[in-house]
Amino acid sequence: MEWARMKIFLRKYETVLAYILAALAMIYLSYSLPGFLPGDFVTAMYSSSHVTLTADQEAQVRAFYTQREGFIRYLVNLFTLNWGYSYAFLTPISDLILQALPWTLLLVGGAHMISMVFGFIAGVELAWRRGGYWEKTGVGSMTIMEGVPEIGSGVILLLIFALYLGWFPASGAETAYARHSAGEWVWDVLRHLALPLSTLILAYLPGNFLLTRGSMVMVLKEQFVQTARAKGLSTIRVRYVHAARNVLLPMATRFGLRIAFMVTGALVVETIYAYPGLGTLLFNAIGMRDLPLIQGIVLFSSLMVLLVNLALDTIYGWIDPRVKHAY
Amino acid sequence: MHIDVRGQLVRDPWFVTGTGLALLLGLLVLLGPMLAPHDPHDMSFGPLSPPSAVHWLGVNDGGIDIFSELLYGMRNTVGFGLLTGITALFLGVAVGLAAAWFGGFLDQIMMRLADILLAIPAIMILILTAALFRPSPVMLALILAIMSWPTTAKAIRSQALVVKNRLHIHASRQMGASGHYIIVRHLVPELFPLYLIGFAAKARMAMFMEASLAFLGLFDPSRKSLGLMIGYALKYYYLNIWWNWIIPPVLLLTLLIMTVTFLAVSLEKVFDPRLKEAW
Repeated sequence: MEWARMKIFLRKYETVLAYILAALAMIYLSYSLPGFLPGDFVTAMYSSSHVTLTADQEAQVRAFYTQREGFIRYLVNLFTLNWGYSYAFLTPISDLILQALPWTLLLVGGAHMISMVFGFIAGVELAWRRGGYWEKTGVGSMTIMEGVPEIGSGVILLLIFALYLGWFPASGAETAYARHSAGEWVWDVLRHLALPLSTLILAYLPGNFLLTRGSMVMVLKEQFVQTARAKGLSTIRVRYVHAARNVLLPMATRFGLRIAFMVTGALVVETIYAYPGLGTLLFNAIGMRDLPLIQGIVLFSSLMVLLVNLALDTIYGWIDPRVKHAY
Repeated sequence: MHIDVRGQLVRDPWFVTGTGLALLLGLLVLLGPMLAPHDPHDMSFGPLSPPSAVHWLGVNDGGIDIFSELLYGMRNTVGFGLLTGITALFLGVAVGLAAAWFGGFLDQIMMRLADILLAIPAIMILILTAALFRPSPVMLALILAIMSWPTTAKAIRSQALVVKNRLHIHASRQMGASGHYIIVRHLVPELFPLYLIGFAAKARMAMFMEASLAFLGLFDPSRKSLGLMIGYALKYYYLNIWWNWIIPPVLLLTLLIMTVTFLAVSLEKVFDPRLKEAW
């Protein structure tokens, strides 16, 4: 009896458990991998540089950067934002990450919001007008765009709009050392945001559009859509309230499946435009072989991705009550 | 599933374009060493010289012929993609078939493992191992494959479960066919379309990852790669080199990923019975 109850419990929280295990696996990897280094952080950092340390200095540096603690202690430190020191910036890693985080959230979050809303609306509308001129051009151009990687579109937008036309700044997130009033500051931030944001939207929009359109075409064939139309509901109501609801679930699923892929794109785009988010921080850390910082960013962003995935799983039940009843 | 697939593919413009481009790029990859006018590691040419009859796309800051570097870089990107694609496909098919055939405990374990792997962003594992240990590109490709088999395995498993319960499988079992025979003679060939779809998707993802990792500077800098070339060229954006140095690797990489995307899209369209009506 106990076992049966246990099984029900496991089934209910299966996904949550999978995520907790994944998080623990990531944390453990991050904790144990440096231990496999020949030597440690300090030898790894100094072996390729011209600096030679005396034994005394080396011991000091080593004591500062490599505090080998137990895994439990490591976990506790993780939760208390005690993530160690960056070797290149000589700053606590948590400070660096938390400074960069808002910019990344603004850029990546904004791009997802915009591309989801527009992809969704365009997909629903064009599926409704199936076979028309606009639908054909839409599907064609979006399929082509789906094949353009962020490196390609990012560099080309940078060359055209920042370097050749000079309409937008080529790098950064705000003009350095400028004294702006609040309104000017917002305008400045938006101008800096324009190019990286467009690059990411170009990358995310086609997938959202194609998926919405594909699922919508299937849904529109269902009988309940005919019923809704037969009842004399307005076409807008049929389209969005009755039919398009069903597209939300595959959209959320796809988002979860592709998020690991999207992280890569966001990283690259931030680097191209030197946007001061986590991606650029990671790029700089890689360039300076700042191992503790690389480790910190990698762990932090992996945990963020897990969190987003977990949130998505809770949203499933919300979007589609059938999912909730399945448990 | 097998009704006039060839005819449908040949009539699909995406497939035709994709195949044409793939043949062209494949030729460039295979004949690269013969076509390249110079050794891509030879740094003896005049740095930053503009394009000429000798150097079709000019010379970069390190005195390397850009056109030769381009051809060799593409070989590495494509090789990485193919290796990851094949390995991930092999793992995915093996796990998916095993999970579907044996079911029970093995199925549960494998699918939970797949869930865990799906939730971890592969790029982060790659960056961590690349930064700490500087492994060879082959090693990184294998790690990426180990991180990315779950989607294929899940697709294979669900389709294998459907096929497993079809009449002809029951019939062959009635006639005394062994599990081994059914898997090899029926399941493996009948899932063939899924292999193509899975392979194209994985290869596309891997080429994109390779270019990004190289762009971020995580590979050995002497290894030729399109991503690395873009990264270096961007440092000199203020010189008038955009059309001979920045644009060629960008275009080639875009073309490469576009080709695989077109093939993946058309294969999915023709082979996935659920999507068929949507087009």
